[in-house]
Amino acid sequence: MASTTAQRRLLQEYRALTNNPPEGITAGPVSEDDMLYWEALIQGPEGTPFEGGIFPAELKFPKDYPLAPPTMRFLGEVWHPNVYPSGLVCISILHAPGDDPNHYEHASERWSPIQSVEKILISVMSMLAEPNDESPANVEAAKMWREQRPEYEKRVREGCRRMLGL
Amino acid sequence: MDSDEDFGMSSEEDVLEDSENDNESADGTDFGIDEPEPDLGYTQKEQVKKEKKTFDTTFKVYHPDDIQAQQDDLIDEVNMILDIRKEDAAILLRHFRWNKERLIEDYMDRPRKVLEDAGLGPSTTGPPKLEVIRGFMCDICCEDEPGLQSFAMKCGHRYCADCYRQYLNQKIKEEGEAARIQCPQDGCKRILDAKSLDLLVTSELQNRYHELLTRTYVEDKEQLKWCPAPDCQNAIECGIKKKDLDRVVPTVACDCKHRFCFGCGLADHQPAPCDLVKKWLKKCADDSETANWISANTKECPKCNSTIEKNGGCNHMTCRKCKHEFCWMCMGLWSEHGTSWYNCNRFEEKSGSEARDAQAKSRVSLERYLHYYNRYANHEQSAKLDKDIFTKTEKKMISLQTASGMSWIEVQYLNSASHALQTCRQTLKWTYAFAFYLKRVNLTEMFEDNQKDLEMAVEALSEMFEKPVDELANPKLKVEIMDKTSYCNKRRVILLADTADNLANGAWEWSNGH
Repeated sequence: MASTTAQRRLLQEYRALTNNPPEGITAGPVSEDDMLYWEALIQGPEGTPFEGGIFPAELKFPKDYPLAPPTMRFLGEVWHPNVYPSGLVCISILHAPGDDPNHYEHASERWSPIQSVEKILISVMSMLAEPNDESPANVEAAKMWREQRPEYEKRVREGCRRMLGL
Repeated sequence: MDSDEDFGMSSEEDVLEDSENDNESADGTDFGIDEPEPDLGYTQKEQVKKEKKTFDTTFKVYHPDDIQAQQDDLIDEVNMILDIRKEDAAILLRHFRWNKERLIEDYMDRPRKVLEDAGLGPSTTGPPKLEVIRGFMCDICCEDEPGLQSFAMKCGHRYCADCYRQYLNQKIKEEGEAARIQCPQDGCKRILDAKSLDLLVTSELQNRYHELLTRTYVEDKEQLKWCPAPDCQNAIECGIKKKDLDRVVPTVACDCKHRFCFGCGLADHQPAPCDLVKKWLKKCADDSETANWISANTKECPKCNSTIEKNGGCNHMTCRKCKHEFCWMCMGLWSEHGTSWYNCNRFEEKSGSEARDAQAKSRVSLERYLHYYNRYANHEQSAKLDKDIFTKTEKKMISLQTASGMSWIEVQYLNSASHALQTCRQTLKWTYAFAFYLKRVNLTEMFEDNQKDLEMAVEALSEMFEKPVDELANPKLKVEIMDKTSYCNKRRVILLADTADNLANGAWEWSNGH
């Protein structure tokens, strides 16, 4: 029952995303057989060093979705304060209420069943533009972002190029 | 009440006690002893009728039933005056943090806005109910089978009953939310009322919800606080405001016997005021004293700044790290010492003497801190040990009854003594933290005399109290213990009254930039 709820809901979300895709975001299940595994492509937001880049990411949904949030991982290197070196994304919307690894997130910012894949991807896009350095997942990147902004931007731009194979 | 009897009995002995203590107590500490002082710190609550001390705080203990009744009264009142549903009245009161007057006033002026702000929106009538809507699909689980039960508040955001239940479960169980559970819809501010909740969730969750609601009542009201003792469900009402805390130390005693400060919730810390206690605890906890020790006991190599502790040997130092050779006394180059081997006659030079002065100062300040800290820690430790003894007191009293043939009421003096020991030690402990921050003036000396007197009495009582049972059976010792108990309690009252008076008048002078 639980897995059919997740399937049904994800199918619904997939349909909404394809019919009415938000700008700069494409996402969908990799195969029709496994609705719990998605891939997404996110465009680097304009006016940021990520501009021009296309960032592939995977989304893994738990069986009890939408009660629990999915996890999201970038598939290439993303130099960003809120992305772990492994590519795992750390933002509040991906944390279930009551599960606050850094003890400062407000419950209302976190995952709830009325959030959606679309909202996650939009949040991640704005996270790329505006990092939150209060609880960095990548301390080095946060330090660089805070103290040596030009170098941070340079490193991000280089990362974008590499990812595009330039 | 038995403890009061003890004091009544021993009051005639006081004159005797006083004359005995005259030679040991310093001059000027005896005033006040001759006044009849019937007070006993730990029975404050039973003595509302008696003369009120300056360090006593007026307070009231509320049991869970009282708290519920208070809420119900307020809700009923608002329900009648404003002619709105009880559930809505409850939500409005919680929104106004139980300030009934402000709620009524605001509601009279702009009812629509008040309802909107509190998350009630334009009101319609009709009790909440589950509904089956044709063609409905839940936005959370995407379920759309016919006959699906769904629920929506007046805001119209409809979800299936299962998802709503899941949501409430999460809010109540995981987040401990009750008074301000909003509609699940993102951004909708509508607040769920108790009736709707009761319709949706299991009875177990309902209980938890109402428990949490009661809790918000106490937490929302400034003059109410939970008793911090484990498993105690009482709340204390006290009118002391936050801004008064530099003038009074509002100690309250719950019916569960736990004594604590209403200002900060810590265990009784009279006579020291809250902010001083906070500072002191922080000082003891953080490593500022480690740094102090380092500066008092070590010097730095003049060349590479490595920290060096000299634990013996001559003054000719060779830094292990950078091989710099210097004189420990004057910190100058050793090569300049010429022929005066292993001796420094350059001691009086100005540059060196300044560095030495700074070091001497931090050494003195460390010693001063340790003086107060050791005594503070000692009383804390002793109070813990006395507590252990207190648990044994019960046994002691029983064996004393069998050994001496005394009756139950006749051995209660041990109980009072143990109580007195604990409260007095608690007070003494904090007098040391208090004294640490005092400037050296006359008032401080009087305080220290009071402190010394109480301390000596407590130690004497402590010693008597530990005597073996066969000695305790001696009627002479019994009288002595009773006298000492009463004396300790009196000295404590005097000390607390004195400090509280001066605190209220702002007479204390603080050192260390306090």
